[in-house]
Amino acid sequence: MKINKEKCIGCEVCHPYCTVGAIITIEWCSKSVSEIIEDECVECGVCLRSEVCPTQAIYMPELKWPRSIRAAFSDPLSTHPSTNEMGRGTEEMKTNDVTGRFGRGIAGVAVEMGRPGVGTTFEDLQKVCMTLARLGVQFEPENPVSAIIVDKKTGKINAEILDEKVLSAIIEFKIENDRLKEALLALKEISNQIDTVFSVGLITRVTQDGSIPSISIARDAGFLPRPKTKTNIGLGRPLKGEI
Amino acid sequence: MTHTLHRMGDIESLREDYVMLIMPAKGVNFDGSEEKMRQIWDIISHYQSDLINFGNLTDGNSQRTTMEVFKRINSRAIHAVFMDREALKACLKELKDHNFGISVVISGLYEDVKTICSEIGLSPHTVEHSLGIHGKTEKLPDEKILEITTMCGHGMVSPNLVKEMAKKIDNGKMTYEKASRELSAMCQCGIFNSYRAEKILRKMTAASKGA
Repeated sequence: MKINKEKCIGCEVCHPYCTVGAIITIEWCSKSVSEIIEDECVECGVCLRSEVCPTQAIYMPELKWPRSIRAAFSDPLSTHPSTNEMGRGTEEMKTNDVTGRFGRGIAGVAVEMGRPGVGTTFEDLQKVCMTLARLGVQFEPENPVSAIIVDKKTGKINAEILDEKVLSAIIEFKIENDRLKEALLALKEISNQIDTVFSVGLITRVTQDGSIPSISIARDAGFLPRPKTKTNIGLGRPLKGEI
Repeated sequence: MTHTLHRMGDIESLREDYVMLIMPAKGVNFDGSEEKMRQIWDIISHYQSDLINFGNLTDGNSQRTTMEVFKRINSRAIHAVFMDREALKACLKELKDHNFGISVVISGLYEDVKTICSEIGLSPHTVEHSLGIHGKTEKLPDEKILEITTMCGHGMVSPNLVKEMAKKIDNGKMTYEKASRELSAMCQCGIFNSYRAEKILRKMTAASKGA
């Protein structure tokens, strides 16, 4: 995003709307104006969409590669080129009753880098992807992050985008329950080596007796599952048979 | 799309926050789902007075697009935010009875959702738990701010905007209702719970006044 300094009246009304605090005041041609710090801006589009600028000074310039990747991941209204869908993730467990993507004995894990609200570079995302790739996890092929992993065996990301910063990006993968603890411990370890945060989601097909086996595994790995969940209540048809 | 999963808050607050997500599956029952999705909007409209918010990413939240419009257009997904467990249950029962065959997800306290399912003859199929935030957590804003910002899973509600709204309330320049609506407007999907946000803002501003 950019601010047209000729039009800007320096009112600072737009500043709090920036999701990553990247709008500052500078002196320009003997007046105070707002400016967006280019390195920090994740191209989420909120400042423009909020329509708070009284002089319409905020505008979206044409984004060229690799900067365009920022909008693809940060602005949920931007259609991601690899999926042709808006948003950052996939249908994951939301349609699991009809897709059977996550069967019993298989855990789904979503590691959302940069969430909540901190943002991430692809350099940090690569560190986590490489850690997981060493464990041989199955990256979700329909997720936009998979499109930027150039080598699924190593987890290496397209080098052209490593310095780019986005609001968040979701690493989705599947792993057998008996290897889940190993993967969660690896996430704990790598969390100390990154300059951002990530939020972790754990997907489980409920067993016939109503239990959720992955929860005790997560606790063993030192994670504390929160009481709030997303629950697919099985109304989709045709129901997918068990794997 | 984990966007409703990581909402933060205490049990009392989360007990007033249930998000319904409805979505057909690509390659399974997506084709031909348009009319069913319109019918589902029609059922949800029976509970409009109980809804805090509704919408979807493509067409916007309830401040931007009316229920009447949603009932006419093609929807890839449906979001509806309930604060009342009984209203949610009644809506789910109606959806179940119509047997649309479209997947339904409820984001909320698992024990409550499980009980609601049991009361209407359903059982959880697949569950996603939040395992919390890890890494450089010192970069995060205060917890009360996070309770508000995490209600937009895409991160469109800025922590600084929450602070700005609280400041304006403290200075008597904005009402709680207007502040929570302004925050809600940032969330395109219609999953932001402005009722909860207003309550949290009241706690934040009371704290700043030393109450």
